[in-house]
Amino acid sequence: MAKQFMKGCEAVAEAAVLGGCRFFAGYPITPQNEIPEYMSSRLPEAGGIFIQGESEVASVNMVYGAASTGTRAMTSSSSPGISLKTEGISYLSGAKLPALIVNVSRGGPGLGSIQPAQSDYLQSTKALGHGGHRLLVFAPYTLQEAVDIAYDAFEYAERDRSPVMILMDGCLGSIMEMVDLPPMKELSNQNTQGWKVGYDGVKRGARMITSIYPEAGLESNNKNSAAMYKKWQEEDVKVEEFMLDDAEYVVVAYGIAARVAKQAIMQLRGQGCKIGLIRPITLYPFPKKSFEKLNYNNIKAFIDIEMTIPAQMYDDIDLLVRGRAPIFEYGRSGGILLDDDGVTDAIKKVTGGQA
Amino acid sequence: MKYTLIIAGSGGQGVMSIGITFAQSAAEGGKHASFMPTYGPEQRGGSAKCTVIISDEEIISPLPKKSKVLIAMNEQSYKKFIPELEEGGLLIINSSRVTSQISRADIKLISIPADDIALDIGDARISNIILIGALLGFTDILQPDVFLSSIEKKFAKKSPEIIKINKAALDEGVKICNALK
Repeated sequence: MAKQFMKGCEAVAEAAVLGGCRFFAGYPITPQNEIPEYMSSRLPEAGGIFIQGESEVASVNMVYGAASTGTRAMTSSSSPGISLKTEGISYLSGAKLPALIVNVSRGGPGLGSIQPAQSDYLQSTKALGHGGHRLLVFAPYTLQEAVDIAYDAFEYAERDRSPVMILMDGCLGSIMEMVDLPPMKELSNQNTQGWKVGYDGVKRGARMITSIYPEAGLESNNKNSAAMYKKWQEEDVKVEEFMLDDAEYVVVAYGIAARVAKQAIMQLRGQGCKIGLIRPITLYPFPKKSFEKLNYNNIKAFIDIEMTIPAQMYDDIDLLVRGRAPIFEYGRSGGILLDDDGVTDAIKKVTGGQA
Repeated sequence: MKYTLIIAGSGGQGVMSIGITFAQSAAEGGKHASFMPTYGPEQRGGSAKCTVIISDEEIISPLPKKSKVLIAMNEQSYKKFIPELEEGGLLIINSSRVTSQISRADIKLISIPADDIALDIGDARISNIILIGALLGFTDILQPDVFLSSIEKKFAKKSPEIIKINKAALDEGVKICNALK
């Protein structure tokens, strides 16, 4: 398909439809409203169904129902709304249902602010609901990357029988950029044939989708999940390593913060500063190997840059750096966005003006 | 070539719509472009600001601290965003609504009574087009013809009269600034 100048929310919605999404249920909240708005006209056009539920909880459970039938189903929300949906996300994981969940995050905690923020790292990577389950969590930093990830999200979800999350902050949700949209995917129910419920013309025994295991079975399920999470760590990590070869300073940033940081890094490189970037594209699984292979004799410091205060990725970095270099953090929050000069100055404070 | 541009005014002045059309026009004309809105919670009457970046090269960060151009459509937005205009930058004001004395001496000022001109042309809503015309007349960001064809596309389903009046507004802005060069 052709290139189009699109808004982030609309681009990710369109990519999901092109990737096979045929059911969307959601409830309004800023700054993700353009996703349901777009879906409300686009899905019927593509032969799908759009429902504005009566609440976040209802919507995520509608996704549970739709996904049970093997339909590629999606919901989206923004931070406080995702909190409400986490019960349902845990149930999706427990019932081993594929689905796509998009969080266009805003400031928190509480109702916080409607402006963009990266305040949901911990929620996304550690606890999208009770029960100790994990999701593949993707954090795109351009609209093209968001489109590419959303387009393939259902393949991951169906491969694993596990929901997938795309975490994009309000900046990426509202920015407009040129995107190259891929063609509509041919829908195949191959991946859901073995377990989906509903009559599809084939005579077979009754099936049940459930997340409750009154007798045996839960532990073996949990063991399978544990093995799956390990496998993700081996096979599904996505990361960008930028100018790390001779780096003395390593910035760690994802999503919108990584764009601002990358610009600062390019500027500082121009001034002779040996600085690079680790940009996790999957926040879970976290790109551990990128940290393991660094030459710590060279590294003077890490700088964790996030559009939230305090930095939330810090603990994951700390576990990998293990005291071999100091870790500094810089962020903005409360509706105040990161900006080029602010990030450059924060980095210069760490590098001692060496630049 | 890289231009960072702030367009600001009050809700209802067409800040977002002109920003989107301008960025889209540049993108379709082969430039790299991004549009980033900053909304207040209000639908009308609140402050509206957008940042447009147009560049020959890939746009890495869409969040500059300071911009090369500020188009201020009303007094409030002038006061609020003038600190975000970089040294040597270009300030274009709608002098029908920006009444302050412009105090910064380190910038280039273009002052256009856009609301008054818009009324003379016959539609109060085209102030934003006049101001963009001024920008295009004064700089080489984008050819006015490229922008005009985007306007024609945007209003293709509306009456030819709307396209005509937008073209008149654009021409007027370009003309004023060509004379200033």
